[in-house]
Amino acid sequence: MKLFLFDFHRMLNDENLPYPDTMHPVVVHFVIGMVFFAYFCDIFGYLNNNHRMFEVSWWNLLVASFAVFVAVIFGEFEASLAEPYGTAKNVLDWHTINGWSISAVLVAITAWRGIIRIKNPLKIPVPYLGVMTVFMCMVCLQIYLGDLIDWVYGLHSVSVVKATREGLFLK
Amino acid sequence: MNIGLIEQLKQIGIEIGANGLPYRFPIHPNLVHLTLGLFIIGIIFDIIGTFFWLDHPILRFLSIPSSRHNFYDVGWYNVVAGTAVTFFTVAAGFFEILLAQPPENFNSVWGLGAGTTMLLHGVGGVLLLTIMIGMTIWRGYQRFSWRKDESRQVQWSYLLAGVFVLGYMFIHGTLGAQLGAEFGVHDTAAQLIQHGENPKIILEKPF
Repeated sequence: MKLFLFDFHRMLNDENLPYPDTMHPVVVHFVIGMVFFAYFCDIFGYLNNNHRMFEVSWWNLLVASFAVFVAVIFGEFEASLAEPYGTAKNVLDWHTINGWSISAVLVAITAWRGIIRIKNPLKIPVPYLGVMTVFMCMVCLQIYLGDLIDWVYGLHSVSVVKATREGLFLK
Repeated sequence: MNIGLIEQLKQIGIEIGANGLPYRFPIHPNLVHLTLGLFIIGIIFDIIGTFFWLDHPILRFLSIPSSRHNFYDVGWYNVVAGTAVTFFTVAAGFFEILLAQPPENFNSVWGLGAGTTMLLHGVGGVLLLTIMIGMTIWRGYQRFSWRKDESRQVQWSYLLAGVFVLGYMFIHGTLGAQLGAEFGVHDTAAQLIQHGENPKIILEKPF
């Protein structure tokens, strides 16, 4: 076990990762992009009575529902290697809690969207749009927290990893 | 951008923070989620529509109704939306690249300096937008004219070109990731460290 851990730490690069760059922000393209566009298409389709947009919305939402789990897996893995300092710990905790919540809510919403589509693919109920609006707020909060982690606290950036290894944050 | 020009910006009321931006975090990487997510999934749905005989039985097994022209709808609208957003992605990228002050004393893992990486990412980004516009117009011609009545709405050459664009995006995106993660461009903590300060103390209250 000790030997395994030793080898594992030797595998980490100067971003504290066993592979070149963070994967979580890449996988997240397929959650953020698809969820935003699904929301846009449902609203647009509702306002213009365009049922073709409802199909576009549904398939995008289905992709997001799969991608969110890959995003959570990479997110957990990279969070465990992030070594957050000071307030970054709290931000990372909230990002984790909100992220798991998003995965659960997104799957529930996609299932609901799928049932709506099977019952009547030409109409979208207003309560669904309401719930989706609340969900979009969760997604925006999550993007904000993720931006703090990456662009303010710089977790997994070369400078911060180097400073961590040199003990700057122990002060 | 040099210090003198940043001083000029202060005179017109644009205050630059520790991250080198007049706001909390860069806008460009946030818009990139939309550009890449929409365009990549657009191409993938055209591939799914083309190999309908392969994926239709799987979806039927899962009791999810599907039809081929719906997949091509997704392929079309996603690519249109992805290209439309990318004008803003490039605009935000140019504003932020103008304000970048990357370190000059080391190279990325690809052996490139920060200046070279910025140049390739900037010029490459405009080229990528041009390619995306071209792909969207090409896709539109197939949808509304050339292959309007065909059950396979896209040409094989379009799918092949699409896969090449995805490869281009991978290289281009990695250059962008290196600007953020390796050179610390517009990254508050990295900038503070590069200027000899301790982000743990300065960033104690982020909200």
